[in-house]
Amino acid sequence: MKKFLKTVKVIFTVLFLAYTIVILYFLFFSPKEERFIIAENKQGVYLSQSMFNILTFQHPDFSDTYFEQSVSFNKRGDFSKGFQLLNKAVEIDPKLHLGYRGWIRLRKMRDFDKALIDFNRLDSLTTNFVDAPWGEDIDFLRGECYFGNNDYQKAIDFFNRSVNNQKEDWADIQTFVYLGICEYELGNYEKAVSEFKRALNQSENTCEAHFGLAKTYQEMGNLEKAKEHILKAEENIGYKRNDIYNEFLNEIYLSEILEFKQQLNK
Amino acid sequence: MNLFLLISFLLALSLTTWIYYQTTNRVGDIVFDKSIDNATFKTCYDYKTPQYYQVGTNYQDGSKAIKKELSDTIENLTFEDSGYITFRFIINCNGEVGRFRVKTINSDLQENNFNNQKIKILQKSIESLKKWNPGMWKDKAFDSYFVLNFKVEKGKITDIF
Repeated sequence: MKKFLKTVKVIFTVLFLAYTIVILYFLFFSPKEERFIIAENKQGVYLSQSMFNILTFQHPDFSDTYFEQSVSFNKRGDFSKGFQLLNKAVEIDPKLHLGYRGWIRLRKMRDFDKALIDFNRLDSLTTNFVDAPWGEDIDFLRGECYFGNNDYQKAIDFFNRSVNNQKEDWADIQTFVYLGICEYELGNYEKAVSEFKRALNQSENTCEAHFGLAKTYQEMGNLEKAKEHILKAEENIGYKRNDIYNEFLNEIYLSEILEFKQQLNK
Repeated sequence: MNLFLLISFLLALSLTTWIYYQTTNRVGDIVFDKSIDNATFKTCYDYKTPQYYQVGTNYQDGSKAIKKELSDTIENLTFEDSGYITFRFIINCNGEVGRFRVKTINSDLQENNFNNQKIKILQKSIESLKKWNPGMWKDKAFDSYFVLNFKVEKGKITDIF
């Protein structure tokens, strides 16, 4: 009986130790890429943050870790912590992370001046190459920054550069919408009509372009055309530009369209 | 032998407890705190509250509508610094809001202290908003976390998003 009890104790001791060793090995000594992927997939969970802390301690120059660790803080509105980490990633590998930081500054924080600084610096580091921070053309993003700052002429310059980079048929359809809004804001109504129509050439369902045309035609005194386009804007609102994370600078809502329609019908 | 067994058991137990804590807590979770939270605000579910972007929580007509509704409050508030005031809170499955937490930073993104009384006014103004669309998943309404930023430039609120 004594021997049996001793054997049971040995087995349990070995099992408990093996369990502890396996977990500690996984956390501290498994390949860094594997740990990174697991931590990345568990975004926001404390375990993920602890794994990133271990990785940055062991591999202080692994910039992706700081970048990925920053994401859950910035998404949850803790920009102070998020940017401490993201700034570290940029410091280690600016070419890799400047675009994302600029993109976050533009889309999540609407800090247009600092976003421009990041995009311009990235551009200067990658001459002869058109960057695409977070998958979007850098000149389109710079155009949005100037648009956000109400500097419509500069915005037009960068949106036009974006069309040149991407070519007419491949440019983001919202480039033409922004160009139309900028011309409208500058009082260049003929040009605004022409830019909004470029968007409609890509897709007839671009409700932002129809809404822009309705406003522009109203300014030009062509109420018939304005009414035609406000109806099309209403019909196509289901195709509007939106994003589950953030509101875009040129995002429109059905209520605005209906309000404008009512105003036109008075 | 008993000592080895005890030590190995305690090690395994501590590690398991740590892993349980680490996998059941998330960045930005807000636990009810009776000293600051309104006890009448209830969440509809006990399980982990998702983020707004996981279930599509939003305000009717977006932050443009929020800006319009809060324009009077915003106009009358001035601050001594530039930066961001970020509210994180829960929108329950009925579109009610509660469990507010706030972080304030200056334009260099360093934590700062905007006037607490004015922050309370802003929180009250968010509580007065009535057109929240709770997060939905498969036709079912959910509680969710939401984030609302007030951008302050030269002492004035210039944007809400």
